Amino acid sequence: MNSSSAAENLQVIRTLMERAALYRRALAPIMLLAGGIGVLAGVVALLLRVENLHTFCALWFGVAAVAVAGAFLLARLQSLKDREPLWSPPTRRVAQAMAPPLTIGFLSGVLAFTTAANDDTADVILPLVWMLCYGCALHAAGFFVPRGIRLLGWFFILGACGVFAVWLCSGRPRDAVTANIVMGVFFGAVHLAYGACLAWTENRKVAA
Amino acid sequence: MNPEPISQLDRVIHEKGRLAIMSLLAATAKLSFTELRDTLGMTDGNITTHIRTLQEAGYVAVTKSFEGSRPLTTCALTEPGRKAFASYINLLEQIVQRARQ
Repeated sequence: MNSSSAAENLQVIRTLMERAALYRRALAPIMLLAGGIGVLAGVVALLLRVENLHTFCALWFGVAAVAVAGAFLLARLQSLKDREPLWSPPTRRVAQAMAPPLTIGFLSGVLAFTTAANDDTADVILPLVWMLCYGCALHAAGFFVPRGIRLLGWFFILGACGVFAVWLCSGRPRDAVTANIVMGVFFGAVHLAYGACLAWTENRKVAA
Repeated sequence: MNPEPISQLDRVIHEKGRLAIMSLLAATAKLSFTELRDTLGMTDGNITTHIRTLQEAGYVAVTKSFEGSRPLTTCALTEPGRKAFASYINLLEQIVQRARQ
């Protein structure tokens, strides 16, 4: 073996080790849980006519908190089952990649909540900002997660652009119903569909 | 005097397919047979042969269990396997450094 093939072997080892260190933990159950909570919250928001901006922000912040807590619990359970540390290097990379856009999304919600007047109505702009931030977060995490999560990120980003275009063209006024539907569909139904797709393909892989 | 690093390279690890398997397993606690096969794009027969060789050398531990009703085979590096892989990498680095000098 000469030095160039030794260097080549080292490069191959590095590439394979990076590929193996992708985040693989409980993605399908986390997506299904987040989707289920999102759909439920969307239905509740429509039934209870959540229209006030303060109530809208509080409801969806609460939903996000429950979904994050549930995701943490699922990841923790899987790490205990597999006898792996929860805060593993892949988990750390995913968290670091998602943190900046999620922080912007959180701050935009806080800003909307704190600056809104008591009788302000929620409209579709805040959900679109959240979708854009979340889409960017998924896309960034996609570099450390297998299986098309970057595509899901693009789906959120392009979905936000599409909804904004339709909303502009339709000339609809400030409308909390549309806002709740957008939240329920994208943060609920889309997550559910993606989680179901992941679970189905995982089962097929195990069966193979 | 140190012998040439090339002569010390572990022949079990030095084969391309086994090196790939060892690299993947070194980066994670364990991987299923299916994940290894899909990541490396090897055939079932090929990967089974390599894993058996690594298992016989004591570098890889294979565990068979069930996920639901389906059988699940997982592979992990053993402690001697981890040490052998680390020293293999050290030797490769020595070869590269000697060439640079």
